Amino acid sequence: MSAGLDAFVAAGPGPLPVVLRTLLAVARRPRGRALLDRAPRIQAAVHAALSLGRYDDPAVSRALGWDADAIVARGRALRRAEGRP
Amino acid sequence: MSLSVSSSRTLEADVCVIGAGAGGAVVAAELAEGGARVVVLEQGPAHDPGTFTARPPEMLARLYRDGGQTTTVGTPPILLPLGRGAGGTTLVNSGTCFRTPPAVLDRWREDFGLDLDEAGLAPLFDRVERALSVAEVTPELAGANAAIARRGAERLGWSHGYLRRNARGCVGSGVCVFGCPTSAKQHTGITYLPRAAAAGARVVTGADVRHIDVRGGRARAVHAHLEGGGRLEVRAPTVVVCAGTIHTPLLLARNGLGGASGQLGRNLALHPATAAFGRMDEVVDMARGVPQSFYVDEFAAQGIMFEGVAGPPGYAAMSLPLVGEPHRAAMADYRRLAQFGLMVSDASRGRVRSLAGRPVIQYGLVEADVAKFRLGLARLEELFLAAGAREVLLPLPPGVRPEHARARDLKLMAFHPLGTARAAARATDGVVDGDLAVHGVEGVCVADGSVVPSALGVNPQLTIMALATRLAFRLLERRTDFRPPTAPPPEEETACRS
Repeated sequence: MSAGLDAFVAAGPGPLPVVLRTLLAVARRPRGRALLDRAPRIQAAVHAALSLGRYDDPAVSRALGWDADAIVARGRALRRAEGRP
Repeated sequence: MSLSVSSSRTLEADVCVIGAGAGGAVVAAELAEGGARVVVLEQGPAHDPGTFTARPPEMLARLYRDGGQTTTVGTPPILLPLGRGAGGTTLVNSGTCFRTPPAVLDRWREDFGLDLDEAGLAPLFDRVERALSVAEVTPELAGANAAIARRGAERLGWSHGYLRRNARGCVGSGVCVFGCPTSAKQHTGITYLPRAAAAGARVVTGADVRHIDVRGGRARAVHAHLEGGGRLEVRAPTVVVCAGTIHTPLLLARNGLGGASGQLGRNLALHPATAAFGRMDEVVDMARGVPQSFYVDEFAAQGIMFEGVAGPPGYAAMSLPLVGEPHRAAMADYRRLAQFGLMVSDASRGRVRSLAGRPVIQYGLVEADVAKFRLGLARLEELFLAAGAREVLLPLPPGVRPEHARARDLKLMAFHPLGTARAAARATDGVVDGDLAVHGVEGVCVADGSVVPSALGVNPQLTIMALATRLAFRLLERRTDFRPPTAPPPEEETACRS
């Protein structure tokens, strides 16, 4: 799991981080995936979390035209140049 | 700006403000500039924009309460992301600014006896909009995602327009809800809160308020636990609770305040929302430009509003209503994906309660609101098809058409919780009165979304800020030793950069 996704999961309320980590582990196994197919709403939540992590990978998102580092660098330059907070 | 309090101590103030979001930061600035001694207690941190990464998972974890994973209990469950820290949810909202619709004010006057009208509120809105540099987004800055919605609306002859936003020098980074990396969004953490501090207010972050001391029917002090381990007592005859619609009723209830009417924690409206994707032939790059920059209000009278929504690949991947290979194929085509949102002015009402110190948010969608989603999703599909989409991806289970959608089929989020300490002139109807003072107690007021008595049908941040400004002025009027609030806020450069 990427550091970003790990932080996201850990920030969840109450017992959710433990539940979500377990489900993510289940979803990585073929039999687990088959099991989740029977619970569409849970499957959708797990899939959303996995997708959030996968497409946050800089190499993946850059290939899709999105470069977070460039956005941040532009922001830093603008804040410095214009004295923004 | 934040006062560092490392050990137990006591502060004296005229007013203690709990929370530094849309309500708290505004009321603190106006009071401090009017001459009041103000202490602001904010539970979260003051976020440094220099550390924002524009990467959704990390920023969700840092800027949102519970990592943005707060969810309602009911059918369907609704994701309810709430901001945490200086600026509150204004730090992570889309920046959309609407004044309270006059028809809503009319209803509040009739149903709740509130002395609020368009003309009376206009100077307050003017003041807030000046302070936040509110201006209409330009078509260039709005980006291709908005242009697609505009094309569809024009072909259908539907009412539409570019949204007004609180942004200054925006360059369309596309990550408003993940922390603006250019500090263009004028959230209250970089506008009102610094003004409050400059006028002498003491702002304490990492302060978790545990107790509001009320003796003899009036407020005396506020007690907080500090992040560093110390305790803080703020002795103040006036306390303004601005902890937000979910947490304000819990704080009041924990202190035995506001419960007489039986309305505390009830009447929760959310503006439930969803979004559809369109697969286009043209390159959209939805995250280039202002994600929420355009609206279609053709169906506003029916409680349905369309507003732009968009984000980087991680966000889009999370939102796409697909799994498996279809999801991979759609994401491979991310640059040609467009997205637009649908928000419902809800008749459903929920309730917030505390379970082991945490909020439990109960909210079930009534049939009238399900019907609005049915109609809204069908119209949203029509909008995309009119704009030239070759496929529309609706947030519904496979094989379910909008007209047959049930509550449990809907995939919803909500961003505007309102009403859990609603204002009403009569003590039997609401938690606070028309001046936002808690019924039955001296010196405790509320200024956040919880006092807004009903769904607005539009984004609520300006309404909350105007009501907070009004409260500050009312409090200042009562004190002869405060300066009258005649000076306008500093003139700000308005307009987004295109």
